[in-house]
Amino acid sequence: MISLMKKPSINAAGDARAESNSAGFEALFMEHWAHVYRVLYRLVGDPAEAEDLALEAFLRLYRSYPLPPAPEKGFNVGGWLHRVATNLGLHSIRSFKRRERYETTAGKNAIAEAPETRPAEILAQEEERRLVRLTLARMDQRQAQLLVMRYSGMAYKDIAQELNLSPASIGPLLLRAEREFEKRYLEMETEGT
Amino acid sequence: MNAHLNDGELRAALDGELDAARLQHLETCNDCQMRQRDLNAQSRKTLQKLSFLAPTPQDSAPSARNAWNRIADRLSTPKEIPMFKKLFASPLVRFAALALLLLVLIMSFSGTRALAEELLNLFRVQRVAVIPVDFTGLDQLTGGATGKQFSELISSSIEMTQKPGEPVAVADAAAASQKAGFNVRLPQNQTPSQIYVTGPAAFNVVVDRAKAQALLDEAGRSDLTLPASIDGARISASIPASVSIAYGKCPKPQEDKANGDSSQISGRLYPDCVILAEVPSPTVDAPADVNVQQLAQIALEFTGMTSEEAAAFSNTVDWTSTLVVPIPKNAATYEQVNVDGVTGTLIQRPADDAPQYALLWVKDGIIYAISGLGTNSPQAVDMANSLP
Repeated sequence: MISLMKKPSINAAGDARAESNSAGFEALFMEHWAHVYRVLYRLVGDPAEAEDLALEAFLRLYRSYPLPPAPEKGFNVGGWLHRVATNLGLHSIRSFKRRERYETTAGKNAIAEAPETRPAEILAQEEERRLVRLTLARMDQRQAQLLVMRYSGMAYKDIAQELNLSPASIGPLLLRAEREFEKRYLEMETEGT
Repeated sequence: MNAHLNDGELRAALDGELDAARLQHLETCNDCQMRQRDLNAQSRKTLQKLSFLAPTPQDSAPSARNAWNRIADRLSTPKEIPMFKKLFASPLVRFAALALLLLVLIMSFSGTRALAEELLNLFRVQRVAVIPVDFTGLDQLTGGATGKQFSELISSSIEMTQKPGEPVAVADAAAASQKAGFNVRLPQNQTPSQIYVTGPAAFNVVVDRAKAQALLDEAGRSDLTLPASIDGARISASIPASVSIAYGKCPKPQEDKANGDSSQISGRLYPDCVILAEVPSPTVDAPADVNVQQLAQIALEFTGMTSEEAAAFSNTVDWTSTLVVPIPKNAATYEQVNVDGVTGTLIQRPADDAPQYALLWVKDGIIYAISGLGTNSPQAVDMANSLP
């Protein structure tokens, strides 16, 4: 096991506790890593970015909860990581906005360079995903967060717990977010973004 | 319960998330079923677009073991602190750095004001305004090779004409007032753990347009063009002596600097630390022929605003008297609160790992800031209201 003992700690007792807890953290990491990465990869569409963001999510978990949180205390580690990953991913695609022009250019180059190896349907799908990401980036953070959490597979009760909402409010909020998404997506299409 | 389902409930039913009692109504109600069909048609369009967000086991993920090695490395290596964060690492430094944000103001000064003299005293703080910004652009400027260029540009452009020196500990409010040269106010019925006075500072900035433009280009914003008129412009800022009053167990300024941006660690070591800072308004002079309105647009657009948003924000602020405080978009909230007989601004950063708050207000020409880690912002409001 890799020791995390070089992490700054308060005192010797804290060091000993950190040593014993690092095993628990490693177990959590191994259990949730692939899912957190996949959620982020789907959201940001870039493997390297997704990996960096996934690591950041786990670092935040470690810094926020130096003692591995006990499931019996009602802490849903998977839900927490999913929410933090979603926020990190949304922040990342917001910053993509400023690279939008580059991406557009790069996309056109890809089409020009290898038209025969990239069927039109795949290119259309990639274009749609790009537009979806840009639309999410332009939306209110809370609504975008709700959409991503739901469409990346979280159950209503888990979303409600993570966002401090009642489960009954998720349906109406989701509907409102979807309508806002469609409206903005249409605007982006019309703008020819 | 026999009432018809609302649209939200119908939407939940599509996801199989409706509770059993309401589902029973749906199964027997033609009207609700018809509405659900319409809703389903709408929702399917969204589902089609967003369904790719659902991860599948077929998505390959990097090796968990390799990823664990990376995270272990990061946990065992002191984090490299971006320059911007370094500025804000210490409450004392943070407050002094706040004054540097006057540069934003300089850039944003309204061009409509009559500028009759060659040099005008452009700015004196009377109020605070908050602007949520996307720091990505700044991060790009302060990271990697661009960060080096940015540091060089700043260091070659700024001439310190008066250095503030190290903070000096004083015994009480009277001593602080005498040393700082203004009436320092302390909250009633609370005993500070430390009081420090930092001396006055002054600096000039001479703008090197070519280098600044090259940096913008490097940061991927070649669409923003700095006006030729700013080249060589000399901007002077003067920051009076400031006072920092700590409550609870707080780091000494030197320790604080050494710790850098370790807010999580600071949060554990100093969970009850609250710092009140007081400083008379800085002043800034700039040449009258600098088109600051144009620079304002560029600065705001650089933060991620569209040109329309930048113009709209610019019109809401009196740039001659407002200290503009940028906060991270989507990562911090702010609200106006009544404190100390004036309107203040409470900024809260509800981060997952290290929540923080800051309360800012201006009264009688003095800027006040109370900051702390955690979420106990009402404590800051009480403290502000107890000032004599």
